[in-house]
Amino acid sequence: MNDINAPVRVGAVFGPGNRIQPVWFDWQRKKHTIEKITYRWQESRGAARTLHFAVSDGADLFELVYNTDSQLWLLAALEVGNG
Amino acid sequence: MTHRTILHCDMNAFFAAVEQQSNPALRGRPIGIIGSGARTIITTASYEARAFGVRTGMTVYEAKQRCPQIELVVGNNRKYTDTSAGIVEVFRDYTPLVEVFSIDESFLDLTGSLKMFGSAKRVAMQIKARIRHRYGITCSIGIAPNKLLAKLASEMKKPDGLTVIPPDRVGEVLEEMPVGELCGIGKRMEKRLFTLGITTCGELGRFSRRTLKKRFGINGEKMHDMGRGIDDSPVVPSSEKEEVKSVGHSMTLPRDIESRDEIRRYLLRLSEMVGRRARRYGVTGRTVTLTVRDSDFETRSIRETGQGWTNRSDGIYHAALAILEKFPLDKPVRLLGVRLSSLRHHVRQYTLFPDEHRQEMIAEAMDEVNDRYGNFTVAFGSVLKSERGARVISPAWRPEGIRYVNVE
Repeated sequence: MNDINAPVRVGAVFGPGNRIQPVWFDWQRKKHTIEKITYRWQESRGAARTLHFAVSDGADLFELVYNTDSQLWLLAALEVGNG
Repeated sequence: MTHRTILHCDMNAFFAAVEQQSNPALRGRPIGIIGSGARTIITTASYEARAFGVRTGMTVYEAKQRCPQIELVVGNNRKYTDTSAGIVEVFRDYTPLVEVFSIDESFLDLTGSLKMFGSAKRVAMQIKARIRHRYGITCSIGIAPNKLLAKLASEMKKPDGLTVIPPDRVGEVLEEMPVGELCGIGKRMEKRLFTLGITTCGELGRFSRRTLKKRFGINGEKMHDMGRGIDDSPVVPSSEKEEVKSVGHSMTLPRDIESRDEIRRYLLRLSEMVGRRARRYGVTGRTVTLTVRDSDFETRSIRETGQGWTNRSDGIYHAALAILEKFPLDKPVRLLGVRLSSLRHHVRQYTLFPDEHRQEMIAEAMDEVNDRYGNFTVAFGSVLKSERGARVISPAWRPEGIRYVNVE
């Protein structure tokens, strides 16, 4: 996957419980609707916990990252044509 | 005789399976997981790649010879450790007696849980289904009266296997089983046993215990038991106090390096990592061990014990530097490791020397910032110049991390 590491606007569903599910995001003036979350995992950096989501919009594969401390979303990486 | 019921779970091609699940385009294709981009060793191969003869530890060149279409994926250790921790949580729903053997293997003692869950096989089916549902990956499970046999059983069917060795079939299973299949008997020992005419577990179990003891000492007696399928070792939960006698970090360098200056920068990085962990656990140590692996995979370790105890990164670094001078470094260096041992709990002593006090304050301040924002947010300038290198997942990795430290 190619590293991007750019802030993005994300629409997500919170719940049930403490589950977070990204539903869509904006990237390069295009709205990407997430068709499938293929994997999810957590990492930590200092006191912050980051939630990682490998997602597909049906065409491409993206890695979205949510920082629970700063409450910011990042498009971490992208792989074209593998979604 | 009361039999235990032990379950061994072994994730199938773990790192590769996680990456194939994460990236659908990789599913069904031969893939090899590698370290950082410049490194050339396969750490795990998918089953599709294994069908071509690709194996863990093979160079990328060799792997491509066997499977030209293999796709190489740079591994993500944090993804794997988080997945492993989640899987261990599933295990704990069935018994508190879970021993994490490695990042992709665990033992469960189900003896006390069977009344609640019906049977070990039922537990195994549920575990497999839950892992598949949550992560989309498979595991092989073995069920037997002890850890040795449970691990042997899980090896019998891969991938996605479930094998039971009941107590009354142990002899039958072991009779023709090659001794090298037993956990704890490696290639070298297998050859040594061969010189005694022992090739199978049956032969090992029937061999003279006295001769084995004479030849191999206490290991000989242990192997005799193993040949008969006897293993009384308990499943030790990872959550119980673990004796940790040292704090260490090692790093596979992004590329083989010869320059002592560059080596020193990585040593400083490693010393900072070791120092931070030691300070976090509130311990100091007297012995520093430096490990160097060269490009031919020869590994040497030298340790030095100082007069005083330290957990300061600069103290550890200077000790490691002094040890480095004892290494000839006639070949490029592939891996470096720094370890602090002979530990004791840190007793804060207020120093009369302003310079020392200042150094302590700086270290505390750096730790505070790095605790908040992540490792190496603030670091010594030379460390920032060095590349990260591939962190090795230690065989001692556990989901909870090290909580208890054995001190002198």
